[in-house]
Amino acid sequence: MVGGKPNFILKDVNATVNEGEFLSIMGPSGSGKSTLLNVIGMLDEFNEGEYRFFHEEVHRMKEKQRSNLYKQYIGFVFQAYHLIDELTVYENIETPLIYQDVKSSERKAMVADILDRFNIVGKKDLFPTQLSGGQQQLVGIARALIARPKLILADEPTGNLNSKQGEEIMNLFKQLNEEGVTIIQVTHSEKNAGYGKRIIHLLDGRIEKEE
Amino acid sequence: MIQTYLKTTFRNLVKNRKHALLNILGLSVALAACIIVFLVIQYETGYDKHLKNYKNIHQIVTKDVDAAGEHYTAGVPFPLIKYLRQDYPQYTFTEMMQNNGVQVTVKQNSAESNNKKFREETGLFYGEPELMQMFEVNFLTGNASLLKDVNSVALSKSIAEKYFGSWKEAAGKRINIDNSNYDLQVAAVFDDVPENSDFPFKIVASYAGFIAHDGNGWPLTDWGSNTSNHQVYVLLPEKANIPALDKELHSFERKYDKNKKSTRTHFLQPLSKIHFDDKLSNNGDHITTRRSLYTLAFVGLLVILMACINFVNLSTALAVTRSKEVGIRKVMGSSKTQLRTQVFFETGMLVITAAVIASGLSYIALPYVKNIFAAQGTLSLFNTGSIVFILLITLVTILLSGIYPAFIMGKFKPVEAIKSKINTTKVGSISLRRALVVLQFSFSQIFIIATIIAVSQMNFIRTADLGFNKESVLMLQMNSDSITHSRIKVFKEELLSRSDVKLVSFGLDAPSSGNSWQSNFAFDKMEDKDFSVSLKMGDENYANTYGLKLLAGRFYEASDTCREYVVNETLLKKCGMKNPQDAIGKLFRLGGREPMPVVGVVKDFKQQSLKEAVVPIVISPKLKYYQSAGIKLFSNNLLKSNTEIQQLWDKYFPEYVYNSNFLDDSINRYYEQEQRLSLMYKIYAALAIFISCLGLYGLVSFMVVQKTKEVGIRKVLGASVQSIMYLFSKEFTVLIAIAFLLAAPAAWYLMNSWLKDFVYRINIGVGVFAVAIAASILIAWVTVGYKSLRAALANPVQSLRME
Repeated sequence: MVGGKPNFILKDVNATVNEGEFLSIMGPSGSGKSTLLNVIGMLDEFNEGEYRFFHEEVHRMKEKQRSNLYKQYIGFVFQAYHLIDELTVYENIETPLIYQDVKSSERKAMVADILDRFNIVGKKDLFPTQLSGGQQQLVGIARALIARPKLILADEPTGNLNSKQGEEIMNLFKQLNEEGVTIIQVTHSEKNAGYGKRIIHLLDGRIEKEE
Repeated sequence: MIQTYLKTTFRNLVKNRKHALLNILGLSVALAACIIVFLVIQYETGYDKHLKNYKNIHQIVTKDVDAAGEHYTAGVPFPLIKYLRQDYPQYTFTEMMQNNGVQVTVKQNSAESNNKKFREETGLFYGEPELMQMFEVNFLTGNASLLKDVNSVALSKSIAEKYFGSWKEAAGKRINIDNSNYDLQVAAVFDDVPENSDFPFKIVASYAGFIAHDGNGWPLTDWGSNTSNHQVYVLLPEKANIPALDKELHSFERKYDKNKKSTRTHFLQPLSKIHFDDKLSNNGDHITTRRSLYTLAFVGLLVILMACINFVNLSTALAVTRSKEVGIRKVMGSSKTQLRTQVFFETGMLVITAAVIASGLSYIALPYVKNIFAAQGTLSLFNTGSIVFILLITLVTILLSGIYPAFIMGKFKPVEAIKSKINTTKVGSISLRRALVVLQFSFSQIFIIATIIAVSQMNFIRTADLGFNKESVLMLQMNSDSITHSRIKVFKEELLSRSDVKLVSFGLDAPSSGNSWQSNFAFDKMEDKDFSVSLKMGDENYANTYGLKLLAGRFYEASDTCREYVVNETLLKKCGMKNPQDAIGKLFRLGGREPMPVVGVVKDFKQQSLKEAVVPIVISPKLKYYQSAGIKLFSNNLLKSNTEIQQLWDKYFPEYVYNSNFLDDSINRYYEQEQRLSLMYKIYAALAIFISCLGLYGLVSFMVVQKTKEVGIRKVLGASVQSIMYLFSKEFTVLIAIAFLLAAPAAWYLMNSWLKDFVYRINIGVGVFAVAIAASILIAWVTVGYKSLRAALANPVQSLRME
């Protein structure tokens, strides 16, 4: 709010994302891409409008309900990976399970599975700072996937990576999508956006065009 | 889950080692201070609580009201108990006579000269069997009823061991008290009384024996005189009507005293009050008022509060650097409660570590506690009460320190936290943290001001003009019996022949002493004045030996009895006489004695501690009452002189134990309590400063990190090192100034009421406050200085590249 006049960050954004989609959101800096992603991820609140997730009215929910909902269904991947520096690779991946009260034996099995699948078993006792950027992002994605979410939200997942590493990550997303995981990614890169089945272009908080 | 909390806690503590160290250091010192305060309070409030009858024992004490005000005495007149027993046969009464400062001669069966002599300052009582039963004395051999025998005495285990090597050897042996004409036979040995008891029985001789030997000269049938040494106790059943009995005691003495003149009333003093009521004396080594215990508890509370404030400040500052972790955890699905539990867990680990260290610290410090607190006994760190306390204070500290940081971190918005958009201004309210720093500095400044005032008052006392010379005066305890009187003259001559002895004076006591002997008197006109006069007695050398200054007339001539008087200035003033010269030749009547002329007037001298005002005094010779010798020495080695004089004493008075002390030492002993208090202030001021400096250092460290970019930009723009340092110290200086505004009136109020205990005292000047604030600011600058200098000297290119 500046000067008493409402200053909208997002306005008139109407979109439906179906299960199994791979959606890319594009737009210049400040166009509201990340905010939209945060709103979808229930990390940011919004003042007006409606948001339905699996036919549940998110805009009417209390914080606790929202938190339960996204814990169960949503996984996040960040540009800057956002791993906890004090925890090992193994522990970072395990953390979401702890918060979902998954039993210890089950946790072990699930983490072992995903380490195996991502081919990072050998790195499980290392700390994030001991890994390359690509490896860190791999751990970030593993962590996002560990609780078997229906939806992955990725905020410029390749922004900090070189093109080879980026390509690997995007292929991984593609593969995940083919396995049935819904993916929404924010990206600057036309090439990466091309991995999506649908692209939304944002400008100044509005949907400029959809392709 | 707990495992996860533990792991995270450990990693976080290791990562933020410095922060953890500062917190643990501050907390453990504060907790140790608290634990010691608790132990002292526990010891003091535990006096005589070992007695099963604790709640049922009452002392019967005396209150007398006259023109000068209320007087309280712990004793009652000798005839009282007979009538108490007659009127209240349903209750158990017992009387005892306390006799402090005696010489005990342990008789050997062989030659008299082999007798061992001991001096017992405390713990000698004449008591009935009922006394031993009432105070639940546990006999190792013999029993209480043996004290019915007039020549029997019971000894505590440690006294028996001191006299006879083993307590088993003691029974049947003979001892003699103060070279009296009858010996006592050891009939029983009892277990030592706990240290925190106001009934430190060491030697209990038969009360029947005391009566049979005419009460050593005390007026056994006289209602008129009353001494705090003669005490009566009563054991009341649970259901006794105490208020009714108390009321009847008020008028009890008038009911049986034939002269009916007495203004005295008696009342019940419960055992539970005896240790805490400073209106009355007790048989222990000190009285601790409830107020002083509250002060102590308050000081402990302040210190732990300061440490908690530190914790909160450091943790909220640290929260900024941890915001990313907190944000990620939230995105990973951690609930607020889980996050707060995590933060609480970390606080808990830190506080528990600190508590363990604190227990160790207080264990090390305990032997030194005697120097600061009145409690002279052995304090033990671990007992049920103290363990409960340590657990409780740990828990309270965790809550106080943990709640706010946990609350703050739980409230972080995940999106902001992840993007490191949280900065110090967003973590909690900055004004709250400022308020906490202000509070902390107020506390330490209160301690600083209190210390300065206490120390200057003690200096003032040490150097105050007492009106007489207390330096290099050796005081010997004398006896006033015929043996002593027969040898006193030769002893004095031999003393004066020594090159290191300047003057010798025999007398009742020194010009300043704890004793006071008062009497009614008449001066000039031969009717009694409506105030009393204090008596000092000494031979013709009294004035010279102690350096009393004459204002008019002369000192009296040598005499064994009183023929002339010397009075002090205050007496003249109170009698309305302005010119000392006018007093010379006027008649003076002391009590009911023959009036004699006043021949001299001395300048006022302080007859007691500086807490008391100077009273009217009359000085006269009276050999019969001389109990001390004052020896003015002229020596570089006072201790050597003392030893040599002791050899002389043993030659002239082999029957008596040599008992000496230097006058200035015994005068300093008036202020033991104050000296302890001022030491306590010093220690707690140091603690308070230490803890607030830790906090300040921690805060500045975080501020430096926060402002790295700002400092870099400012330097690129041309800021000087000084201006950067100013940037950092500015805020703290303002906060200290505000803290001072709070602390100064509080400290003034506190110390002004403390100073009121002294009639002669310093004025609290502006200087004290100026020193306090200057010291605080200086200390703060030094603390802040190193960190801010490093920040100011840093290369701006590097700090800007980092961003």
